[in-house]
Amino acid sequence: MSYMSFRNLLLVIGASGCLGQAMALEIQLPLETGVFTQDAGAEIANGQCLTCHSVEYVTMQPPFGRAFWKGSIQKMQQKYGAPITDAQVEPLADYLTKNYGIMTNGGVASGTAVVQTPNAHPAIADGPQIAMRYGCFGCHDTKIKIVGPAYHDVSAKYKTDPEAAAKIEQQIHKGGSGKWGPTIMPPFPQITAPETKILTDWILGLK
Amino acid sequence: MFERTRSNGAKATRRQFLRTAGLVSAGGLAAGRSLMAIAETVTLPFANGQRSLATFPQKRPLILITARPPQLETPFSVFNEGLLTPNDAFFVRYHLSQIPTSINPEKFNLAIKGKVNSELTLSLADLKTKFEPVEIVAVNQCSGNGRGFSNPRVAGGQSGNGTMGNARWKGVRLKDVLNKAGVAAGAKQVTFNGLDSPLIEKTPDFIKALEVDHALDDDTMLAYEMNGEPLPMLNGFPLRLVVPGHYGTYWVKHLSEITVVEDAFAGFWIDPAYRIPDNPCACVEPGTTPKKTKPIARYNVRSFITSLADAGKITAGQNLTVRGIAFDGGYGITEVLFSEDGGKTWREAQLGKDLGKFSFREWTASFRPQRAGAYELKVKATNRIGQSQPGEALWNPAGYMRNVVETVRVNAA
Repeated sequence: MSYMSFRNLLLVIGASGCLGQAMALEIQLPLETGVFTQDAGAEIANGQCLTCHSVEYVTMQPPFGRAFWKGSIQKMQQKYGAPITDAQVEPLADYLTKNYGIMTNGGVASGTAVVQTPNAHPAIADGPQIAMRYGCFGCHDTKIKIVGPAYHDVSAKYKTDPEAAAKIEQQIHKGGSGKWGPTIMPPFPQITAPETKILTDWILGLK
Repeated sequence: MFERTRSNGAKATRRQFLRTAGLVSAGGLAAGRSLMAIAETVTLPFANGQRSLATFPQKRPLILITARPPQLETPFSVFNEGLLTPNDAFFVRYHLSQIPTSINPEKFNLAIKGKVNSELTLSLADLKTKFEPVEIVAVNQCSGNGRGFSNPRVAGGQSGNGTMGNARWKGVRLKDVLNKAGVAAGAKQVTFNGLDSPLIEKTPDFIKALEVDHALDDDTMLAYEMNGEPLPMLNGFPLRLVVPGHYGTYWVKHLSEITVVEDAFAGFWIDPAYRIPDNPCACVEPGTTPKKTKPIARYNVRSFITSLADAGKITAGQNLTVRGIAFDGGYGITEVLFSEDGGKTWREAQLGKDLGKFSFREWTASFRPQRAGAYELKVKATNRIGQSQPGEALWNPAGYMRNVVETVRVNAA
């Protein structure tokens, strides 16, 4: 529960004064902690799979081969309406097979996703490249709301907030919900500190 | 009978305070928001079976199948705590990621529409005051309960046997509500929709359907209480469909819309989802595809040992009471057999208190391990119409309706 809604809760209790009367039931879902292993194709998994579900949908599956993963991707595309492009199917199947397929899930159980040491990335150029690398554009556009808010709107909302950068960095690393509606953003702790700073500065610099 | 334990007194006290103050809030009250509290991990006995125990609002630590949408499995030891599964331990299974997190029961409405003589909008208060209240003890079990044990393995939620629970449901008969609206001539099915919704417009909304005759039977109900409390949010607050003897997929949560229709409803969650092979065993040769399918429906017979877990240690030469649970699709359990020698010989177990034909039925069997060493304990139940459990697991592509005779291996020393 955010600080604001905590205050509102107290206000509701204080103002109603009618003890014993049922009003609302409100729950606060815990923030997710699971993340996709950073590897080639993770940007597609982040940008597509994580839009609608958390990583365990992938990580808990039994030891399956590439045909299973490709079939699952096509099911998401065709039955569930995931906006996975045809060009993304093969690289995503490669990524899932390599990181969650028969070789990785066949041995000792490895059900919980763990944060991997980030790969050695090429020199970082700018915010949009980092956003591409981690699949941020699966849910965010700069100008229009998709699943998450437009980066322009984020920039405008935090324009006068002296803690804007810290808040955005925390949102990126831990995820959250409630600031723009109930939709949950998963965490991306695998985005390195220098990358996060560049990404944050770019988002907040949008006008 | 079983002892019932209460968990987490501190949390209960805080909830108590909030309820008294007029607002029930579950989850962290501290400023800021907690990361998922991972207490520890458990390993389910199949490949890639390591799971976290995670704490969700109004719930004790449960086995995390998925975080979003939440799918939480009840640790199996809970089934030895009592015949009724505590609300805070009851499993959770959603399909769509947009789930309600804040509901004011005074503003909640249930709409009854479609092929009815007069459409209705009922508040929760209407349901509680204008219809006869009824109570039923019934098992809610996931279609894929035990899917992780499928061999060969199949895709889907990889649960052990803990996606089931038994609760005392209180509410009103669905037929009373439908009769108040008046089901029009020519109606074929009734569809049920809840407040959860897909994030992407193209994802099919979770809507289920029952035949009109089924919807008008004496048992199907709209429940607003579970074990004497309002439903937990994650179990469908403030109202859910209860379809005794039928798989949990029909028990629509946060039920807000009932529509009587004149054709067979063919939404995604009825077809192609939640289909079983259209034959008496609901099974096919492992690894093959059924030629014809039908919607999943009634539970088959299941029974479990709850007082001993696999690899448990017992004492040779000492009397031991083994106990467990059995249930079926609503005909009622009439016999439970227990074996201490891997199924070579069987003897009758004693049935416990009868909480109704849709409930878990307790059973006990006395067992005196004469020698030290390994024992393979098995349990097999039969219901009133003679249905029982297969010695070898049956298989279907979705991993539904598992009901093999369960085995618990223990060592006497």
